Amino acid sequence: MTTTVEMQHIRKYFDSSQVLACDDVSLSVAKGEVHAIVGENGTGKTTLMSILYGLVTPDSGQILIDGAPVRITHPNDAIRHGIGMVHQHFKLVPSFTIAENIMLGIEPNSAGFIDGKDEADGVRKLADSFGLPVNPDLRIREISVGMQQRVEILKILQRNAQVLILDEPTAVLTPQEVREFLNVVRRLAEGGRTILFITHKLAEVKAIADRVTTMRRGRNVGTHYANDQTIREMANLMVGRVVTLTVEKTPAKPAATVLEAHNLLVGGAGGMPAVFGASLDVRSGEILGIAGVSGNGQTELVEAIVGMRAVDGGQITLLGNDVTHALVRERRDAGLAHIPEDRMTTGLNLTTNLDENVVVTSYQNKPYSRSGIFDFAPVRKLAQEIVDKFAVKSARVGEPIKTLSGGNLQKIVLGRELKGDPKLIVANQPTRGLDVGSIEFVHKTLIEARDKGAAVLLVSVELDEILALSDRIAVMFAGKVVAVLDRAEATEEKLGLLMAGSSLEHAETASEKASA
Amino acid sequence: MNFLRRILDSISIPVIAVLLGLLASSLFVLLANVSPIDTYQQLFCEGFGPRGCQTFGDLFIFQAPNEDDGTTTTVFSPLYGSGGSRLALILEQATPLILTALSATVAFQAGMFSIGMNGQFVMGAITVGFLGVWLPAQIYSLAGVADYESAPELLRTIMHLIVPLICIAAAMGVGAFYSWIPGYLKVRLNVNELISTIIFNAIAVQLVGYLVNFPLRSDQNNIARTARIDDTAWLIPFNRTVFADVEWFSGARVGVGLFIALIAAALVWFYLKRTTAGYEQRMTRGSSLFARFGGISTGKATLRAMLISGALSGLAGVIAILGVERRVVDGFNQTQTGFDGLLIAILAREAILGILIVAPIFAGLNLGAINLQFGDLPRQLGGIIISFIILFNAMEDWLRERLRGIFKPRPRPEAPEAKEVAAS
Repeated sequence: MTTTVEMQHIRKYFDSSQVLACDDVSLSVAKGEVHAIVGENGTGKTTLMSILYGLVTPDSGQILIDGAPVRITHPNDAIRHGIGMVHQHFKLVPSFTIAENIMLGIEPNSAGFIDGKDEADGVRKLADSFGLPVNPDLRIREISVGMQQRVEILKILQRNAQVLILDEPTAVLTPQEVREFLNVVRRLAEGGRTILFITHKLAEVKAIADRVTTMRRGRNVGTHYANDQTIREMANLMVGRVVTLTVEKTPAKPAATVLEAHNLLVGGAGGMPAVFGASLDVRSGEILGIAGVSGNGQTELVEAIVGMRAVDGGQITLLGNDVTHALVRERRDAGLAHIPEDRMTTGLNLTTNLDENVVVTSYQNKPYSRSGIFDFAPVRKLAQEIVDKFAVKSARVGEPIKTLSGGNLQKIVLGRELKGDPKLIVANQPTRGLDVGSIEFVHKTLIEARDKGAAVLLVSVELDEILALSDRIAVMFAGKVVAVLDRAEATEEKLGLLMAGSSLEHAETASEKASA
Repeated sequence: MNFLRRILDSISIPVIAVLLGLLASSLFVLLANVSPIDTYQQLFCEGFGPRGCQTFGDLFIFQAPNEDDGTTTTVFSPLYGSGGSRLALILEQATPLILTALSATVAFQAGMFSIGMNGQFVMGAITVGFLGVWLPAQIYSLAGVADYESAPELLRTIMHLIVPLICIAAAMGVGAFYSWIPGYLKVRLNVNELISTIIFNAIAVQLVGYLVNFPLRSDQNNIARTARIDDTAWLIPFNRTVFADVEWFSGARVGVGLFIALIAAALVWFYLKRTTAGYEQRMTRGSSLFARFGGISTGKATLRAMLISGALSGLAGVIAILGVERRVVDGFNQTQTGFDGLLIAILAREAILGILIVAPIFAGLNLGAINLQFGDLPRQLGGIIISFIILFNAMEDWLRERLRGIFKPRPRPEAPEAKEVAAS
């Protein structure tokens, strides 16, 4: 096995956030291998890869490519050495075509004039040679996320990258797209490219990686062959203790109905209705999971229930009171807690400190304020309580939170929302982008809240998560709740068919046939 | 320690920006074939020094001439008041600037890039320019006093207590309303506040120009102007009242307005940092989704901020007229108090304490530049310097990067001995 990339004793300390992101990390990657880098959030995976790609300059350590030391201080250096990176958040121009994006900056031109047809042909040829077909004339804003990722990969292949760094490539993909993506990675590796990919999903590591490097608290805690390790071993190594991968819960003891949505009509982004006559109910002491392919009205339904989106028709009842048009605050006062889809912009305000973040749902109440004037001592106490109770690492009272990792940010959201035992918890994609340890924590927390008598409405595009947590499962398709199943009668197959738009009868007969 | 570090951290960039601004402006001075050092010496002397100040040293220690015998005495310049201290003049000029800077800060901290301070300022000014004349006249006629000078002392005392208060309230109301409109347009119709406030500034300036030239014009003076406000509406400067004997104050019309501005600064700080209403508007700015998620009515918070911002600019107009000018003269706002306040707020990083520091410096530079025009250089030099300072100030990120490079040299990349990585 010949080594293409070697990173030796990399150390990086961030002054601004006082975080030692990489602590004497060494890593060697062989040519043509798929090398996964796993670790919890905030353990320095992305920093390490950013150093390799020249986005971050290390304090010390060196990088060798094909045995020769190189200096990489800018992505241009990295590209020159055949290293390309696809970021977690794509950097594409939405109004440009696929071809224009791929050729951006290296357009084939004659005397400064770009030949669009030439460009498109070049891209088509490139795409076909790697077995990644695309239609070069489509605009980025017209194509799916999975296709956008393919464009990003083609973009770095066009720049002749031999080493591809992929930062959490599957976090944004649907299950079908993930399968397709993993095939692409395999093909590229077989074609002699080296793939370095950061992920949280250990199943994917098992599926395609040759070797896996685990990082914990800025250190490389071991590089292993993926075949030699079970998922459980990887998870334990990652977290540094024994993790429970399955969710343990007792059967639900549902009581009175807490939330009732009847025949809801909710507008979407483009003025078209996104929720089209959806009805559901959630009872105290149960978790109702909403399954569905992303974009079938789940987000709009949740926003309508929590009061952040206007309801055009139908009725929402919370604990027997009509709250269809109630303000967010009125719903919260009635016992609503909301764990939003996007913790970075909705769940938290990253421009301010911990204290002001934890108090947003209760600042107008005593003891945090009296007649409109803050009393900061109880606010600080609240922040400290949340930090202690939820073990939020490296968060300090009165300090900014923008440097915290995703898992820790989500812990702050959970701590704030679950404070004071809410009656209804609406959790939209509560574990998106989190690592194993944090997912375990979120799941446990939600089940604890359920056992204390809260009604939980859980939206997730991860079918595993829905199946693991839910007591009942509602399936959304095209803005409607097409079926509500008890957990016992729900199978992955049946849900999959319902999510794709089959009727319940059809799904049942089809899955019976399959099992027969 | 931490606190000290934070202070140093926050002032380092503005200080560097000032130095770089002076350095860059000296290119223009050299173009005029004048020595930059002499020019700056004169600029600072005219802006901040005692009368007769000649050198940078005179800014601190000054050989004050004795009129009687031609000898000199060594004095500490800031306290030297013969002929009226320029520092008192700075306080006079800084007072409205502090208020418009506070106004800008409140709007900015609701996520509104409102630049409507100028419009609100002139609207406030014309309101008191009118009320300061009209209101006392109404009261006198009600009381049956024909000759104002002979009005009973008691009546005048009472009037002197209530007329300015009514004027202040009215002007703040007008300013608030004038700022509320762009706020409402933003919240309801999503009209960009930058554009609407620019237009509202123009409307206000034209409207006030019309009022001063026609309905409120008092005499056939070359430059149109309103009547002088009644003495009972006047916020009488210190040099006519408590400090009549203190020469330091003699040349400046600084008065109770300064206290009003300082109190306003304290209140704005309290509002932004200590009240739930201030919290609501700051969260709206930080992330409006987050604010709505938490149950904050973002539209209300925005409108409240615009009302407060407008009221503060209106108050600046009150101080300028009732405390200093005593009448509205056509084109009186060529000094652009509103825009200057905006720039001060930006330079001060929207920090209240910073505004209180930057506003007098700004006023001093303006003063120095105005007096400089009697020399060889045009007063536009002051504008050039200020523009450069703002430009360099905006280069914050770049400057910080450089600073870090200077104070913490990058560790030399060293070749550590090779170590085998566990690859099992």
